[in-house]
Amino acid sequence: MADLVFVLLSILTVVSALIVAGNSSVIYSAVGLLFTFMGVAGLYVLASADFLAATQMLVYVGGILVLILFAVFLSNRISDAKLSNPTHMRVPSAIVCIALFGLMSNAAVTTEWAVKTNVEYAPTTAVLGRLLMTKYLLPFEVVSVLLLAALIGAALLSRPESAKAALKPDMEEGQ
Amino acid sequence: MIAIPFDSSQVMQGIASIAPEAILVCTAITVLMADLFLAEDGKWLLCWLSLAGVLAALGEVYLLGSSRIVGFSGMITSDGFGMFFSTVVLSACALVLLMATGWSERAGTQKGEFYSLILMSTTGMLIMAKGTDLMTIFLGLETLSIPIYVLVGFQRSRMTAIEGALKYFLLGAFGAAFMLYGMALIYAATGTTKIPVLVYMSVGGGMAGSSLFLAGMGLLLVGFAFKVSLFPFHMWTPDAYEGAPTLVTAFMSAAVKAAAFAALVRVAMLLFPGVSPAIGPVLWVLAVLTMTVGNISALGQNNVKRILAYSSIAHAGYIMVGLVAGDLLGSQAALFYLLVYAFMNIGAFGVLMLISQKEDDGYDIHNLRGIGFKYPVLGALLTLFLVSLAGIPPTGGFIGKFYLFSAAVKNGYIWLAILGVLNSAASIYYYLRIVVYMYFMTPEGEVVTPHTPPFGYALALCACAAVVLVLGMIPGAVLTMAEQSVLSLLM
Repeated sequence: MADLVFVLLSILTVVSALIVAGNSSVIYSAVGLLFTFMGVAGLYVLASADFLAATQMLVYVGGILVLILFAVFLSNRISDAKLSNPTHMRVPSAIVCIALFGLMSNAAVTTEWAVKTNVEYAPTTAVLGRLLMTKYLLPFEVVSVLLLAALIGAALLSRPESAKAALKPDMEEGQ
Repeated sequence: MIAIPFDSSQVMQGIASIAPEAILVCTAITVLMADLFLAEDGKWLLCWLSLAGVLAALGEVYLLGSSRIVGFSGMITSDGFGMFFSTVVLSACALVLLMATGWSERAGTQKGEFYSLILMSTTGMLIMAKGTDLMTIFLGLETLSIPIYVLVGFQRSRMTAIEGALKYFLLGAFGAAFMLYGMALIYAATGTTKIPVLVYMSVGGGMAGSSLFLAGMGLLLVGFAFKVSLFPFHMWTPDAYEGAPTLVTAFMSAAVKAAAFAALVRVAMLLFPGVSPAIGPVLWVLAVLTMTVGNISALGQNNVKRILAYSSIAHAGYIMVGLVAGDLLGSQAALFYLLVYAFMNIGAFGVLMLISQKEDDGYDIHNLRGIGFKYPVLGALLTLFLVSLAGIPPTGGFIGKFYLFSAAVKNGYIWLAILGVLNSAASIYYYLRIVVYMYFMTPEGEVVTPHTPPFGYALALCACAAVVLVLGMIPGAVLTMAEQSVLSLLM
């Protein structure tokens, strides 16, 4: 039963990821992304990582994806723009990607994975909270500095440029 | 509800291990707050405040010394290695801030956010250099990168700034993703992210045969290669360096590179020996290609900032030579070179910043015509820094390259050393081309009038010149310090 659920979730994740990468319309890609995120959340549930699954839904589906959709809706004409990278160097990048894919698949197949039998479906939130306050206290604090820096940076870059903050005249005028 | 046990001695030890970082973060927040209350003509105070914070952190680094303090259940370690790189990063930061005193107003960077972003980025660098857990290294990398992405695009009215910032941000995000993927694979293969445990498993535990572990190491290396701009992950470098305000370019080229190499040297010295048959040739090829591509691309450039950007790629290649050598001497040479490189590069950017009248066009090599004889001090300083970058005695750059290439020879990488020396010879062409423009080209019309440096700026330039010269003539003490710090890493 669990195996069947795993296979179905994996198919959902991979197929919708392919739609994201291959589709030329931003809207379709965004909807594909929605299903990828949900598939990954399902995999988390299957691995008994309930908190992670909830976070995945809240942050990625609820936050990031909605943000992307809003950005698409609010910007003019982006919905009919053909964005899916019409790149040059298609052949070399395809070779690199296929080689990487082969390498990773080889690694995935040849590795003897440590298999956990009898997955126990119990709430993990309390354990995670405890670990964040003890063993992983430093990463937790560093992340707060990181977020503060990101916040300052975002505010700085999106603030309308005032006359005072603009470049001083002697940097702008040419010689 | 079970209470979390509280061990005050461990908490104190943890706080001691991150004391310099804590000082920096506190300063960053203070600067941000002070920015709100200061009038527009009082903003110059912010720069001095940040500088005081950096110097306090530097003092704290030396108070802690090279004794080994493991903090936060092995997440971070303050030791001789961390001390060496903290010194490099904090001195680079202090020099840049010293240059910013009195200069920021001209470049439009006198805002509180500018300084607090620089301080937070420096915090990330220290965490990255001292991290003994892959998780800490990754978070340090992100904390150092995000402020830098913003700082590159600081002068939003310039197209090059926006272009550079966007390219750096996108490619940097890719690099970080690769690194994280690598770390995840390493975790999947070993079940741990702690570097000391990984060392034990990779050397004794037969991890060398695990393709999952190897793939993880490879992706980790790709992530590092993005940050230190190794070929073929160097594409962002010239655009980001050109677009950033020159103060930030100087900071990026010296401090970011040092911090990224700090973590790379730690990983390379500790983890690569376990997988050396697979990863050794990769490092060799990366070093050679990075040197060659960097130098060849620099030959045709006319923008001095871009020349120095390509030269910084080439220098990443030289430093990789030390890592290919893979022994104590090689790493010692790499550490020494990173220190010298920070000073000579900040010095070179500093002089160029005075000469150029504005960003972008101001850095055209033709603006340097006639500077040499009309402004002898500036000319001499720039010549000194360029000569050091080219690796000509009696400068620190020569000693650094000498040790790097002799480490390669000693470990049997004769061809690597030969290619390195050839590259170094090729690089002399574009460094001396700048000198030739300064001294031997007659200007079309007026010679550009450089700005008069404020006191702090002049002091910073003199400090750079002094360090480059002193390290070129009596490198013994710093070489010993580099050796000690690599030894403390291997302990």
